[in-house]
Amino acid sequence: MAGKTIVVTSGKGGVGKTTTVANIGTTLAKKKYSVVLIDADIGLRNLDVVMGLENRIVYNLVDIIEGKCRMQQAMIRDRKLANLYIIPAAQTREKNAVQPEQMKTLCAELMEEFDFVLIDCPAGIEQGFKNAVAGAQTALVVTTPEVSAIRDADRVIGLLEAAMLHDIHLIINRLNQKMVKKGDMMSTQDIVGLLAVPLLGVVPESEDVVVSTNRGIPLVHDRGSRAGVAFQRIAARLNGENVPLDDNGAEGFFGRMKRFIWS
Amino acid sequence: MLKAIRRFFGERASGEVARKRMQVVLMHDRVDLTPDIMEALKNDILAVLSRYMEIDNKTIRVDLEKGKEYTALVSNVHIKRVYRRAATS
Repeated sequence: MAGKTIVVTSGKGGVGKTTTVANIGTTLAKKKYSVVLIDADIGLRNLDVVMGLENRIVYNLVDIIEGKCRMQQAMIRDRKLANLYIIPAAQTREKNAVQPEQMKTLCAELMEEFDFVLIDCPAGIEQGFKNAVAGAQTALVVTTPEVSAIRDADRVIGLLEAAMLHDIHLIINRLNQKMVKKGDMMSTQDIVGLLAVPLLGVVPESEDVVVSTNRGIPLVHDRGSRAGVAFQRIAARLNGENVPLDDNGAEGFFGRMKRFIWS
Repeated sequence: MLKAIRRFFGERASGEVARKRMQVVLMHDRVDLTPDIMEALKNDILAVLSRYMEIDNKTIRVDLEKGKEYTALVSNVHIKRVYRRAATS
């Protein structure tokens, strides 16, 4: 197998799984890797709107698995990048329309063709989670600096380890550096200390995320966005590049200048 | 400003409060000991101990304590009297 399957999960909903998948996937595709993103959130699909591809859906994940279409027919090519595809979730089906074994087979097939297979996991820890995790070798756990998200992340880490998935990395999303400085938000160190999983990166809280999802254009296309830069660095680290872990929301004078010029 | 005053009078920052609370919550989640199991455990410990000594039933406490690299089960029991010979069951 040439490629690698990575599942993005969190337990709690609304912490930024889909945003993470869209931005890491887009960054890797910009680096000329072939990438396919799978929306495993059957019944509540969203990756298509975040990527701005909602008008092009004909077939979906369940159609592939049930043999109603060929794999290529359900893959939608990105508007900007020719080596980036998404497989949308079915919107009118239930989570148990798919079985973990079928996901495993699908991921194995996709890994023959693609360098990266990224799976957007549904919230929760039921069937949908088990499906999304089944074919993956690596898991990225997304959390925000809030007690509910952290507790759920810890549960998910336990379940991943129980499923013998040990290559787990943590992404902290929506960190507000100002609040951390005031002592009103748990810091990166606090969260890493609690969850005891290696940190892949920190994404600062940013209004840019809403703007980018409004438009359906992933943040990493916008060079002026700090959150976008954070996602680019996370993708680079995931790819094994040596990018230091210093982007915890702080930014130097030159960083600000560069951002000012690009924006 | 009000916050600063409260801090001055010893109120901990909410981030620190959250961290401490999560430490306890995650520890319990991970060990997966429900209050029911803890209660059963307490009763079992009590039963074993009372074969050797007289115990103040109301004072027994069983808690999980988090060290740097371990989780400890700490039980505190007040002994009234130790029997001369262990009672045979």
